[in-house]
Amino acid sequence: MGHDRYDVIIVGAGPAGSTAAKICADNNLSVALIEKGKFPGSKNMFGGSIFRPSLEEIIPDYLETAPLERKVIREVLYFMETDSVVEMGFTSFKFAQPPYNTFTVIRSRFDRWLAGIAEKAGAHLMNSTLVEDLLYEQSGPLAGKKVVGVILEDGQKIYSDIVILAEGAMADLTRKAGLRKKNSTDLFTLYVKELIALPEEVINARFNLEKDEGMNIGMVGYPTAGAIGKGGIWVNKDTISIIVGAYLNQLIKNGLNPYQLLCRLKEHPSIKRLIEGGITVQYMSKIIPKGGYDNIPELFDDGVLVAGDAAMLVSGRHGTDAAMLSGKYAAETAVQAKARGDFSKKALSAYEGKINNSFFYQNLKINRKAADYYKKYPDTDYLISKTLNEITFEFFKEGSQTRDEKIEMILEKLKQIQPPVKTIKDFYNAALNWRFY
Amino acid sequence: MSAFGKNKENPLKYVKIKVAAESHIKIKDKNPCIDKCENKPCTYYCPARVFSWSGEKQAIIVDYSRCIECGACPWGCPYDNIYWEFPPGGYGVHYEI
Repeated sequence: MGHDRYDVIIVGAGPAGSTAAKICADNNLSVALIEKGKFPGSKNMFGGSIFRPSLEEIIPDYLETAPLERKVIREVLYFMETDSVVEMGFTSFKFAQPPYNTFTVIRSRFDRWLAGIAEKAGAHLMNSTLVEDLLYEQSGPLAGKKVVGVILEDGQKIYSDIVILAEGAMADLTRKAGLRKKNSTDLFTLYVKELIALPEEVINARFNLEKDEGMNIGMVGYPTAGAIGKGGIWVNKDTISIIVGAYLNQLIKNGLNPYQLLCRLKEHPSIKRLIEGGITVQYMSKIIPKGGYDNIPELFDDGVLVAGDAAMLVSGRHGTDAAMLSGKYAAETAVQAKARGDFSKKALSAYEGKINNSFFYQNLKINRKAADYYKKYPDTDYLISKTLNEITFEFFKEGSQTRDEKIEMILEKLKQIQPPVKTIKDFYNAALNWRFY
Repeated sequence: MSAFGKNKENPLKYVKIKVAAESHIKIKDKNPCIDKCENKPCTYYCPARVFSWSGEKQAIIVDYSRCIECGACPWGCPYDNIYWEFPPGGYGVHYEI
């Protein structure tokens, strides 16, 4: 059984919460880490991969114990059409050597491991526990405003100097506290995923990988049937993660069911052969908060800090590492506040400064315009994919034309798709943003 | 209602869910579903097909036991008419791998 008072209560044992818990505990704060699932990670999903720099920053000896699937040595982008693919990729065998670059990971294992580290540092992990609401101070100058703890679903009250909300994308408590507005449909993407089991040797042969080497395929065009979104494959040890998803408002507008998109993607000839004979062992789905720079909620108030997906810090491919780093900054802020004995909004504002200086926040700022571009021209990815496939097809198709006739025909094809100026603009914007949006 | 699309496969057979006694999802008001909502998008964007339209009952039927907690439904409803909360601690979807 736990206590009814801690220095810090952390809601949610995902990457942000467990990181915060570990750092608070390392600094001798008493920590309750509250998780609604049966164990940390049991309700979590991403593609996905973990990036080495942030992981190493938080757990320097991660290599010894982290449940990493494979070291990613190859990143490939597929521009897909119904019966063709233009591939762009990069392989570096340096990434197979220390210090490595990114790792494929399965969240139910990774989150459980990270929470275990927080527990070892001294945090008190409470599984299968749902927080109903925040507790506010009943008297004094901050009456009704300062957060002083949480109320659990069974009515039990637990008190603390600071509550760190690392509750994930739904952010119920963050919204109840008035820190996050009611969000609209276009601020979320919705992804579905299947985990498909295949023998390790089969995976290695099929993806041209050696033992422990992994890869990631990003896919645009065909997978989302016209909606802005992506497909993806991550190669794990003896499973393959396959995902597809898009902006929720676009799925709705286009009448799309994400599971049907996944089934359709699995049938594409270039994908089918990669997963052939595999056994599906898990189906999962999750929204990703993609509000961007303009929709970051209030990150702090009297006695409370918001971290991870609840803080809408996802920037392009950076979600989990932004979560872990925000958890770290929240913990550092809590440790400083505890040392000074001041948990007011003003004392906690140091957190915002740390977030504002981070690379993921800066990227959110830079990508503000990219998000607008995609909102204005939702068919950009589709058009780029179609254009690339059509001109590449003509380029490789053998005929009996002269060189000039061939160039003429390719230019004619380009004009048919859309005005060439728009095509140039689309490619320019894609080049600027494809890794980040 | 359990099948998705043409291939008739039900992906929920790969999902472990500990179903709570009470629903964590509610339609706030049945009227917008009848009067205003033409396309009833919850019946197709939900990746677990929790929502279905019953012509007979003139209402959206909510099968909360199918929910995999993606979190899309409250944001996707055009009339802000879906109440969704997490199932009680330890209940709901559970990914072991």
